[in-house]
Amino acid sequence: MIEQKRSIRVLLVDDEADFRQPLAKRLAKRGLEAAQAGSGREALAFIQSNPVDVVILDVKMPEMNGLEVLKRIKAEHPAIEVILLTGQASAQDGVEGMKAGAFDYLTKPVELEQLAGKVRQAFDKIVRREEQAREAEFRAKMEQRMIAAERLASLGTMATGVAHEINNPLAIISEAAGWLKGRVARDEGLSPQLKDNFNLALGKIESSVERAKRITHQLLSFARKTDSMIQECDLKELLAEVVELTRKAADETKAKATIQPRTDKTKIWTDPYQLRQVLINLVSNALQAVEPGGWVRLIVTQAGEEMVITVQDNGSGIPKENLDRIFEPFFSTKPPGKGTGLGLSVSRGLVEKLGGRIEVESRLGEGSSFKVFLPCKPLKTPDQNETAVGH
Amino acid sequence: MVKIPINILLVDDERDFVEMLSLRLIDAGHRVQPAYSGGEALDRLTEAEADVVILDIKMPGMDGIETLKAIKAKYPLVEVILLTGHGTVETAVEGLKSGAYDYVLKPADFTDLLSKLEGARRRKAEQEERIRQAEARTLVRRTGEI
Repeated sequence: MIEQKRSIRVLLVDDEADFRQPLAKRLAKRGLEAAQAGSGREALAFIQSNPVDVVILDVKMPEMNGLEVLKRIKAEHPAIEVILLTGQASAQDGVEGMKAGAFDYLTKPVELEQLAGKVRQAFDKIVRREEQAREAEFRAKMEQRMIAAERLASLGTMATGVAHEINNPLAIISEAAGWLKGRVARDEGLSPQLKDNFNLALGKIESSVERAKRITHQLLSFARKTDSMIQECDLKELLAEVVELTRKAADETKAKATIQPRTDKTKIWTDPYQLRQVLINLVSNALQAVEPGGWVRLIVTQAGEEMVITVQDNGSGIPKENLDRIFEPFFSTKPPGKGTGLGLSVSRGLVEKLGGRIEVESRLGEGSSFKVFLPCKPLKTPDQNETAVGH
Repeated sequence: MVKIPINILLVDDERDFVEMLSLRLIDAGHRVQPAYSGGEALDRLTEAEADVVILDIKMPGMDGIETLKAIKAKYPLVEVILLTGHGTVETAVEGLKSGAYDYVLKPADFTDLLSKLEGARRRKAEQEERIRQAEARTLVRRTGEI
């Protein structure tokens, strides 16, 4: 990885100004700009508020000696590398220092060439460590994604199978209940009370079939690649539709959803049906998260070549431990029957297919905001001949 | 309003489903014949006339689309309504291209199914009417020639 090498931020700590100042000057001549501190306390204060890579630290100082300062630095800023300067008679200090985490030590009087070299070596070590951390983070992220992708794929296959198998008995139940309902309605021999009870029971069967049907349909659309129809649409109009379609939920929670376009350009090339499904999902979730009187804002902004639709609420927020999981299929914190746990994973799938991505920020007790980033123009025309995954 | 019964052939390998839907359709005033496979459906059609075939797409052996094609080849006037799962809408589209009148998602909305049955029967009646008129015209022309 080629990286622009940043300049090395050095702090030079020595109580003797006569020694410190010339040394700083000579270091500067070699391209190493060093800040200066005349005591351990001063050094620690400087580090507290300024970024530092390497500290050149005199061991023999009054008040707080170098070893003490070193320990404090290492405890609070483990990323900073420290080079100790020791008196000739006290090489033992240097060894002690290295045990306490110093990068190296040099004996006074210092050979400037050597000091500059050590500073650069220490800095190289920092850069290497940062790169390793970045790489590890990247690898962990990729692994996480691969695991999620694999899980999704196998879930998808299983989900389609299960959904189809369940649909058949559902159809039977639905027809049987429908027939009974018709019969009960026409039967004049039944007492009104019994009729009511029959209807109540049959109604429950029907609504439960509906509920199960919704789940199987969502499962199937989750696993299914739907045909995409890319067209130009106005986000303001689309959002107005979404607000209209979720009005019932909003009224139920006595919450208000408002649209706030913060850019003149609100037109976008995308699949309005899929985007609408995503936004309805996000807005419904938001409405479920807010207290009575709460709000949901639908904000449209533009960021470069992307349009950003933010669905922001002042609801209960999402606990940190759940943030990584909310996009997983079947992850739900809603009571049984209220959520299938598929809404967000379906939404993410749809947005990614449209060439975009969803990001989430949330604070417990303050609310959440889901950001949908979409390219103003689709990156590629989706394959129109995609067929269903498994029948 | 007097309802004219529709002669329906109901084809699905799920016996329970056929049984229950038949009961409902009969209660709604129609005549229903059951068949539990594509082959059986074709056999039934040779025995008795049907206006509309309700045909499940997903069946073992001869599937719905094959059965549809066979029905349409042999009895082009018989209308077919396909029963399809949610994930097989694409197959339903293929079915429409092969001559099906329409499709309904399973589990079906009964009112929706009834109105589609009515529509299918109307189309069949209209087609038969056109054929009758065409036949009458040729007859007139022939008698005119004589």
